[in-house]
Amino acid sequence: MAMSLSNFLLPIALFLAFTSAATVTHDFDVSWVQANPDGAHPRPVIGVNGKWPLPVIVVTKGDRVVVNVKNSLGNQSTSLHFHGLYQYGSNHMDGPVQVTQCPIPPGSSFTYNFTVDQPGTYWYHSHNKGQYPDGIRAPFIVHDPDSPFKDLYDEEIVLPFSDWYHDEMSGLLADFISIKNPSGAEPVPNSNLVNETQNLSVSIKAGKTYLVRMVNMGAFAAQYVWFEGHTMRIVEVDGVYTEPTEADMIYMTAAQRYSVLITAKNSTDANFAFVGSMDQDLFDAIPKGLNPNVTGWLVYDEKKEKPAPKEIAAFEPFDDFILVPEDKQGILDSVDHTITLNMKMDNLADGANYAFFNDVTYVRPKVPTLYTVLSSGDQATNPAIYGSNTNQIVLKANETVEIILNNDDPGKHPFHLHGHEFQVVSRSEEEAGAYVASDAMPPTPMRRDTILVRPNGNVVLRFKASNPGVWLFHCHIEWHVASGLVATIIEDPLALQAQLSNQIPASHMQVCKDSNTPTAGNAAGNTKDLFNLAGERKAPSAIPAGFTAKGIVALVFSTLAAFVGMAVIGWYGMAPIKSKSG
Amino acid sequence: MVNVFAVPVFFICFRECLETSIIVSVLLAFLKQTLGPEHDASVRKRLVRQIWLGVGLGIFICVVIGAGLIGAFYKAGKEAFDSAELIWEGVFAIIASLIITLMGAALLRVNKLQDKWRVKIAKALENNDTSRLSMNGRFKKWCEKYAMFLLPFVTVLREGIEAVLFIGGVGLGMPATSFPLAVICGLGAGGLVGFLIYKGGNRTSLQIFLIISTCFLYLIAAGLFSKGVWDFEANAWTKTAGEGVTEAGSGPGSYDIRKSVWHVNCCTPGSKGDGGWGIFNSLFGWQNSATIGSVLSYNLYWLVVIVGFLLLGFKERKGHWPLQKKPAPAAGDIRSESDGSSGVVEQKHEGAATLNVREVNA
Repeated sequence: MAMSLSNFLLPIALFLAFTSAATVTHDFDVSWVQANPDGAHPRPVIGVNGKWPLPVIVVTKGDRVVVNVKNSLGNQSTSLHFHGLYQYGSNHMDGPVQVTQCPIPPGSSFTYNFTVDQPGTYWYHSHNKGQYPDGIRAPFIVHDPDSPFKDLYDEEIVLPFSDWYHDEMSGLLADFISIKNPSGAEPVPNSNLVNETQNLSVSIKAGKTYLVRMVNMGAFAAQYVWFEGHTMRIVEVDGVYTEPTEADMIYMTAAQRYSVLITAKNSTDANFAFVGSMDQDLFDAIPKGLNPNVTGWLVYDEKKEKPAPKEIAAFEPFDDFILVPEDKQGILDSVDHTITLNMKMDNLADGANYAFFNDVTYVRPKVPTLYTVLSSGDQATNPAIYGSNTNQIVLKANETVEIILNNDDPGKHPFHLHGHEFQVVSRSEEEAGAYVASDAMPPTPMRRDTILVRPNGNVVLRFKASNPGVWLFHCHIEWHVASGLVATIIEDPLALQAQLSNQIPASHMQVCKDSNTPTAGNAAGNTKDLFNLAGERKAPSAIPAGFTAKGIVALVFSTLAAFVGMAVIGWYGMAPIKSKSG
Repeated sequence: MVNVFAVPVFFICFRECLETSIIVSVLLAFLKQTLGPEHDASVRKRLVRQIWLGVGLGIFICVVIGAGLIGAFYKAGKEAFDSAELIWEGVFAIIASLIITLMGAALLRVNKLQDKWRVKIAKALENNDTSRLSMNGRFKKWCEKYAMFLLPFVTVLREGIEAVLFIGGVGLGMPATSFPLAVICGLGAGGLVGFLIYKGGNRTSLQIFLIISTCFLYLIAAGLFSKGVWDFEANAWTKTAGEGVTEAGSGPGSYDIRKSVWHVNCCTPGSKGDGGWGIFNSLFGWQNSATIGSVLSYNLYWLVVIVGFLLLGFKERKGHWPLQKKPAPAAGDIRSESDGSSGVVEQKHEGAATLNVREVNA
């Protein structure tokens, strides 16, 4: 523990010594506002300080970020998660409800306060009950005075893409996890947005080079993105610098980010369209009239025409697996801890469709898992106390962890790990089935924090357990978070206790009180006997296979009825015979 | 199996053919008795030929009408019913079940049928002498002359068209390929039993045969009734769950778990490759996914059948319904109904038991 504690203190000490960090403070009054971003359907969205879209948070590496959240929604609790930030030493600021904090109920306030020591393109969003597609999401940009590419571009452009629903998530979720939707068909978005709008004009100047930071803030759809007449040079994925790599089209799953360099043409003769196109493979049934595309323009000359995008013959996106990190970090090759997660979709006894890791679907525990860690003393290393529906995995300090994820589902899934970036050491094509060990791994694997696993394929991820905390590993399709495709990684819980015991701020404890959420004990809130999980939240039971007692009784009765019936028929039918002989 | 042999169709054909062959056999027997060896052999030959001509012509017309009617049924049905297939399958299953239920009891009283026709024919022929010449006297005279032709002709035609209508009603939910074999087998079996009756073979074993086939008939009808209810429920579920139902195949989601009594992910009736379960389905109404409705309806069906037969049996033995006052002594006199060979027409029978209505009207 002492080791990891000094690990934690060292960078802080360094940064105190050499930088003068600023504090960036935001006051967010979260409330419903009316908006109509696609011009097709006005609806209530979740805004901040009476406005929507939400502000892009821009900080410089090393800055302290303070976000004071006041929940004025009136009818929903909320939270904020800063996607991709490692939250080193500040696990309690990570944001997922019932994992590292209690929900912020209507009327309550909560302060996020952490330092950012990583450059790149991130985003923030609510991590509570599938809420962010209602609008509570925005990019989070961390500038880097030491960027290896800082001399290669003149200006920055931030382009968040997102699918868009005309209905609110609460209703959509109720219909999604319902007996009426036994196949688990995800609601299909109604339109596609860029910068929370459509037909976006981006002014650019001839001859200049731009760093375009793209974020997929969508709930569901992955995006194909291409710029007509311009080639992209990828230099960052999910906050990890890469060797500049050319691409004509990228594929960006929900929650992924790409920074690309785009060099403007030298003439201002024409404007060029760029397109974000939702991957419709993910959609169960494509409604008539759905336009999966959102168009914007690189505008060289406002007076010139903005041409409609050209039809393309096929989607041929860049394969991110071949990217090489700029720091050339070598593959983590001595694995200490292998975790195999087999994911599938299935129905439970309530008739609804759920998602499973190793046959367990995630259900939020009564006590936020972080608070269970902090209140369980030496027992914190025992997975049993974290409940039977949290897919908990306890990691030891500094071990090299390998996650083998086998996708036993015919859909594409973007998996995200909180608190870390991971090396992607293997990724199969579609229909490859479960992972089979192989040495054919890249020497300097790509790292990112959200990775696509292909239909019925697999992916192998590695990372070092050097960040004590409770970190979720989950599919970033918001529907699948709701249906339980979530695992809880409890990393070095004893070091976490050392970091955060008695360090949880008053506002965090206050929202627990306000929302009647217990803050100590095991997953069931039992503080006396940590192994007694009576009363914990559980998933509906499995569907019984074949005949149950009910079925056997019914079958016996039916058979009996038939035999008695036939006996009576026989009795009636024998009458003429009897009377004849008698 | 389900695609090749439609069990309800078989039984309808069997039933109708049996009735026809009984009438023919009664006619032939009648000729044998009344026109004994002392009569002109040529006259007898001519009358026998008349009978067979009537049968043949009747069958021919039936086949023509039947083919046309069923063809039209099918064409119209496929277009009209495709959109709501489950509803129609359910409706037809229940109609078929009711038809079989009403017909089935009569099968157990086939011997009575024989007696009744004997009386009827006797009457028809007796009327020859007491003919009251009237306006349509010539027509009547013609009829009398060709009675031996007309009787079987009309009977065959009537039973045949009835069969066609029943088959049309029952069979719409079934594949066309399942018809021919079932029709042929049904006609063959009906003819055979008719022949056995004519030959006056062992009546007891014949009756046992009839009991067994009636039992099968009611098993099928119970299954159909339950399947009809099942179809309605499946239709409601498809409406609720939409696309997902088809996607789910026979797994979870293909049925409404709230109403499920048992579900096994195999043994699906009707699906290709599971032929055995198809037989199970058409004989006993087996479902791999039983619902509260389908189980209850199966048991209720049997309850009604049991009560019905008990009432019929009571009525036959006591001459009145339970809880009903004993009939007046005058009516009580003709309580010889169970004596099949007496040849007395059981008038009291008429209209009393719904299950026997058809037999009485015949």
